[in-house]
Amino acid sequence: MNEIVLETKALTKYYGGTLAVDHMDLEIPRGCICGFVGRNGAGKTTAIKLMLGLLNPTAGSSRLLGCDSSALTPAIRQRIGYVTEGHRLFRWMSIGGLEKFQRSFFPKQWDDKFFADMIEYFELPKKKKIKHLSNGQRAQVSLALALAPNPELLIMDDPTLGLDAAIRRQFLEGMIELITRQGRTVLFSSHILGDVERVSDRIVVIDKGVIRANCSLEQFQKAIKKAILSFADSVPDNIHIDGLLHCKRSEKQLELTLVGIDDEKITEGAKSAGAEECNIVKMNLEDQFIEFTAPANHRRLFQWEER
Amino acid sequence: MPLWIQILPGSGEPIYVQVAEQISKAIARGELASGDKLPAVRKLASELVINPNTVARAYSRLEQAGLVTTKTGSGTFVSDPKLRRTDAADINILTERMDTLITRGLNLGLKAQDLISLFESRLAKFGNKSKKREEEK
Amino acid sequence: MKFSILLRKELRECLPWLLLAAIAFLAVGGFFLRAEAYYESDRHYSRLSAGTIVDHYRLTHYPILRATGPWFFFLSIGLGLVLGVRQFWIPHFTRTWPFLLHRSVSRKTILAVKLTAGTIAFVISLGTVWVALYWYANRPEVFPVPQTVRVFIEGWIFIMLGLVVYLGTALSALSTANWYTTKIFGLLLSTVIIVTTLSQWTLVGIFTAIAVSVAILLVQIFDTFLRREF
Repeated sequence: MNEIVLETKALTKYYGGTLAVDHMDLEIPRGCICGFVGRNGAGKTTAIKLMLGLLNPTAGSSRLLGCDSSALTPAIRQRIGYVTEGHRLFRWMSIGGLEKFQRSFFPKQWDDKFFADMIEYFELPKKKKIKHLSNGQRAQVSLALALAPNPELLIMDDPTLGLDAAIRRQFLEGMIELITRQGRTVLFSSHILGDVERVSDRIVVIDKGVIRANCSLEQFQKAIKKAILSFADSVPDNIHIDGLLHCKRSEKQLELTLVGIDDEKITEGAKSAGAEECNIVKMNLEDQFIEFTAPANHRRLFQWEER
Repeated sequence: MPLWIQILPGSGEPIYVQVAEQISKAIARGELASGDKLPAVRKLASELVINPNTVARAYSRLEQAGLVTTKTGSGTFVSDPKLRRTDAADINILTERMDTLITRGLNLGLKAQDLISLFESRLAKFGNKSKKREEEK
Repeated sequence: MKFSILLRKELRECLPWLLLAAIAFLAVGGFFLRAEAYYESDRHYSRLSAGTIVDHYRLTHYPILRATGPWFFFLSIGLGLVLGVRQFWIPHFTRTWPFLLHRSVSRKTILAVKLTAGTIAFVISLGTVWVALYWYANRPEVFPVPQTVRVFIEGWIFIMLGLVVYLGTALSALSTANWYTTKIFGLLLSTVIIVTTLSQWTLVGIFTAIAVSVAILLVQIFDTFLRREF
């Protein structure tokens, strides 16, 4: 069952003269957890709001569950859960009041027990008003409100921003719990790469409004590598290898970041450049992301000088 | 059945490999005996807070290595060691790795006897339950 | 079910202002009505010495409007501004629009419920108090001359002007126009209507002006809300 539940075609959004989202093409199949990764201001929230019909695209289109985003029908919205940026809820309402409010919109889908279990687990008093809750507690309420209707498609906009590790873990548990049910799909934006690595099937990397990567997590992790080339004599100024992303020179070594190239081709290229040794090093997802989205001639913030 | 798996995201090792390796170790140590049932994919995913597909991939990696077999409808079980295929290719890889170890050891200045003692002490850590299984045969 | 929970939520948000306006109107209006009643009473006139010139206008024009008029007017405008701000500007401030708008009801319905709640708040708070004050003023022991129906209607005109301001504020709050003047179009329109109304048109003229302005504002509000980005 590879039905596409979320797709965008050349989705573009200009804010005045600023390009926030640039011709985004996305296809998310049913049943997958997709991690939307990008630096702050990369366009993640804008993209999500476009998908949910809260913003109007300058060009291109977006469809959720087969329905155009600018015309999402109430019936379709009922199948989509949304955790908003910042977990902003009605400040004057109590948790119990919000439960009643939210529940009214999902008469057949609402899982009373699930909501009650979550609120109990989070140790949240039902009578407390939202304005008296901490950021973390508000996030927990937000999560419970989004999961209790058992949505087919759950979209979460940076749900763990500024939250502690325990709450981040609770959100991941919630996602996994949802995904183990038949036919559910999750899209969440995050910049905690560790979380993305734990739960995502797919990763979409956004940088300055452009999708730079859109593949399975495994492919991404396999594709980006670091190779340390050691030289006996002088280190060459230029090196030509396919897929070279960055090159960092030090006295006796070249540190290369490469994308999408086999290990053999790397060693070949290293040999032809005159390298004595070529070590291909595993990178963790966070380092891969940083290297992948760094500008072409980036350097470290602090350069350590040999004295 | 106490199966303790630790996930380290950010270690550079894909998570499914970590899961597979740790289950593999548990089998080698005898913590998981042949015929034991591995946790259901969804259950393990829920406990470890990782994607069920990752668990599925780990199980399928183990199945390819011949360590487990999946019976549709029932689950995934640790395979009978007698029925595990020992591929010539697997033995070759094992031999290569041993050569690497021996080379390292000798380069460090260890003598052959030291290497053997070291090997035996490490094997003992995996040992007790394996030995029992050996005796039962 | 969905409609009623939305309505209850909107009303609950208007409640403090609704109550404040009603209590203020009742207190101030009631106080000045009592003052007028005293001034008109036998006790007052009987104490005047013979030959005192009494204002003819005072005797024949409507005590209740004299008593409550200015306050009523300002309260109505004030309530309109406050409710407009509460319902349509505060959600930007608290960033709760996305949560409210992602619902299994159409955006049109959400807007309709908000406006209905605001209107109900007006009618309940100011309308009820006005009816109460009017009934009180009509009691013979309060004023010897019964208040006319025209007076009653003029009271409701004040309420409607307040509603016009409410809609104007809503439109201004929702407007995303860059030009300052376009943004406050709603408020400008309501001011114009108020001024023309107060320059003593006929009742028919007043009602028409109010009806037209309400229609224009409603059309603009719906159009803006449905197209708007949040």
